[in-house]
Amino acid sequence: MRDPLWARRLSRRELLRLAGRGSAFLGASAFLSACGVAGQGRQSGPEDDASPEALPPSAGELVVASWPLYINQQQGDRSPTLIAFEEQTGISIQYKVVISANEEFFGTIREPLARGEPVGFDVIVVTDWLIEKMARLGFLRELDHTRLPNFENAFEKFVDPPFDPGNTHSIPWAAGITGIGYDISLTGRELTSVEDLFDPAFEGHVGMFREMRDTFGLMLLAQGVTPQDATVADIERAQRKLLDQRDEGIVRGYYGNDYTDQLATGSLWVSMAWSGDVFALQLDNPNLRFIIPEEGGMRWSDNMAIPATAEHPTDAHEWMNFAYTPRIAADITEWVWYESPVSQVPEIIVQDAAEAEGADRALLERIAGSPLVFPDEATVASTYNYKVLDEEEEAIWNELFQEVTQG
Amino acid sequence: MSAIGIGRARHRTPYWLLLPGGVWLAVFFVVPMVSMASISLQEGSLERGYELTWRFQTYLDVLTKYDTQFIRSLAYGLITTVVLLVVGYPVAYAIAFRGGRWKNVLLFLLILPFFVSFIIRTLEWKFVLADDGILLGTLKDWGVLSAGFRVLATPLAVVGGLVYNFLPFMVLPLYVALEKMDRSLLDAASDLYSSRREAFLRVTLPLSLPGVFAGSLLTFIPAVGDFLNAAVLGGVGTTMIGNVIQTEFLVNNDYPEAAAISFLLLAGILAGVALYARLLGTEELTG
Repeated sequence: MRDPLWARRLSRRELLRLAGRGSAFLGASAFLSACGVAGQGRQSGPEDDASPEALPPSAGELVVASWPLYINQQQGDRSPTLIAFEEQTGISIQYKVVISANEEFFGTIREPLARGEPVGFDVIVVTDWLIEKMARLGFLRELDHTRLPNFENAFEKFVDPPFDPGNTHSIPWAAGITGIGYDISLTGRELTSVEDLFDPAFEGHVGMFREMRDTFGLMLLAQGVTPQDATVADIERAQRKLLDQRDEGIVRGYYGNDYTDQLATGSLWVSMAWSGDVFALQLDNPNLRFIIPEEGGMRWSDNMAIPATAEHPTDAHEWMNFAYTPRIAADITEWVWYESPVSQVPEIIVQDAAEAEGADRALLERIAGSPLVFPDEATVASTYNYKVLDEEEEAIWNELFQEVTQG
Repeated sequence: MSAIGIGRARHRTPYWLLLPGGVWLAVFFVVPMVSMASISLQEGSLERGYELTWRFQTYLDVLTKYDTQFIRSLAYGLITTVVLLVVGYPVAYAIAFRGGRWKNVLLFLLILPFFVSFIIRTLEWKFVLADDGILLGTLKDWGVLSAGFRVLATPLAVVGGLVYNFLPFMVLPLYVALEKMDRSLLDAASDLYSSRREAFLRVTLPLSLPGVFAGSLLTFIPAVGDFLNAAVLGGVGTTMIGNVIQTEFLVNNDYPEAAAISFLLLAGILAGVALYARLLGTEELTG
């Protein structure tokens, strides 16, 4: 028997309030551990791609690294999904919430990966562009798709993505959209455009992202440039725009996950935002809105992958396969409010809504009908993927971006 | 054993006592420092690997690139230390001279907040001081403050956070210096017709200088290198050098630049401390 949805909803909402604090803590600990790692000395060069070697027998245990609020939870309990996994497979799973930003997480596992040592995680969940980068560096194990029969449940659009052709190294966990979130009672008007982030009327109350690809992405769209075609000249113009916005005092700060509590406490009136978060915050504050700007938004996916040095790769496959069980994926989506890559999930949620009553029913219907959780064609057409950057390009973009955020 | 042998053994004892600390420093300070020095002179990237090329230009590069943040960090550290002295001295003085039997309780109260992790406490400030939070929101409702008023994401918030977080590190050394002072010196001063003000300026203050020096070092040095307060309470234009180092290490993976900045910061702090020791006069500091 599943517990009432409102209880689950409540716990997520409360957790979300804490998310900002948690992420700052993660950032701090990542910093501290990276300091220790950096002292170890020289980097070795990248290693050869992990060859698709045969999988060892199951070890009966598994460690997963993921983001805050990315799996269904019950107050004070383990996630029912984890319990179900252990019951079904007999593999004991540790689910660790250790990722609050891609770069910072990568910083903590990069050194051991480069030295060919285990990183303590068998499955990591990171954003598409980092999958591409880690695969290029030979840091990811090739997946054995014969062990992932449930992946055939995936939506067509999640199969064979440009950042990981043939899903050689990763399969998606969830997907979302980067757009603009705002509190209409504070802005006093509807927002529609990226240009609204530059409105002097919101001086000191505009939040931008520290995720370089998201922030540059919206700036490029504002110039009418498709992010995937961006040249360095485009990025320089984008940077100019951000510098002006900063120097005119319009931006309050550059945020990670912690923008959510700034929006919730009214410190930010307008902020770049991730779709699922705003969906959740709206339950607390109906004045909050999320828009995909008329110029377009960014579309991304977070993907499960196995580090090349993982100690329990067979168990890792079991988990990835399990996550593609339609009922399991639907449970997660009903709590997480990001798009599921599993094609049966929308139907299941509609069914659940029909069977539910009262507040649960309203919420499930909202989830099922939301173009942010299940993007329709118009939504997909108005959102863009990140550009795949080579090392040199990434360095240039990063440097230009940091002149903005670190000024 | 001859008398000379015993003498020699005694002579050696201090060195043996230094050994554990010495080994500790060698392993956990000297080795990482040498390694960092080497990294700061390397060139390359994560994907190509790093190579020692003795490139000193990196130091010049980061100095010109991040001069604002260097100066800002030193300024924030300096302001923090001065504010702490002004705030902390009366506190330490009151506990040491007027605390009476409440001394231990007062000291305990001073330390009490530090039973909670400083990260948690700093994050809580963000909620207390939020634009529409308990404090500012209420004041705005009363019409005391204008709707756009804010404390967070300003230099005031960052320096305020630093002052808050480092207060005990200033008060405790001052307290120790004042507490161990010989009270009969004050009686002597008043016997010799000095006013209480004069007695403070000519007896108490000079005798507490070692505490002032120790307190300043314990607060200035970590405050300059701090990154948490700027990351949590700051916003645009409050980035400190600690935040730059964090980004260079974790986001850019630019180990050489990060290491070079760290060394420049170390040099800057050492220079500041040396200047300070000279100004205060070193003979007073040894008590």
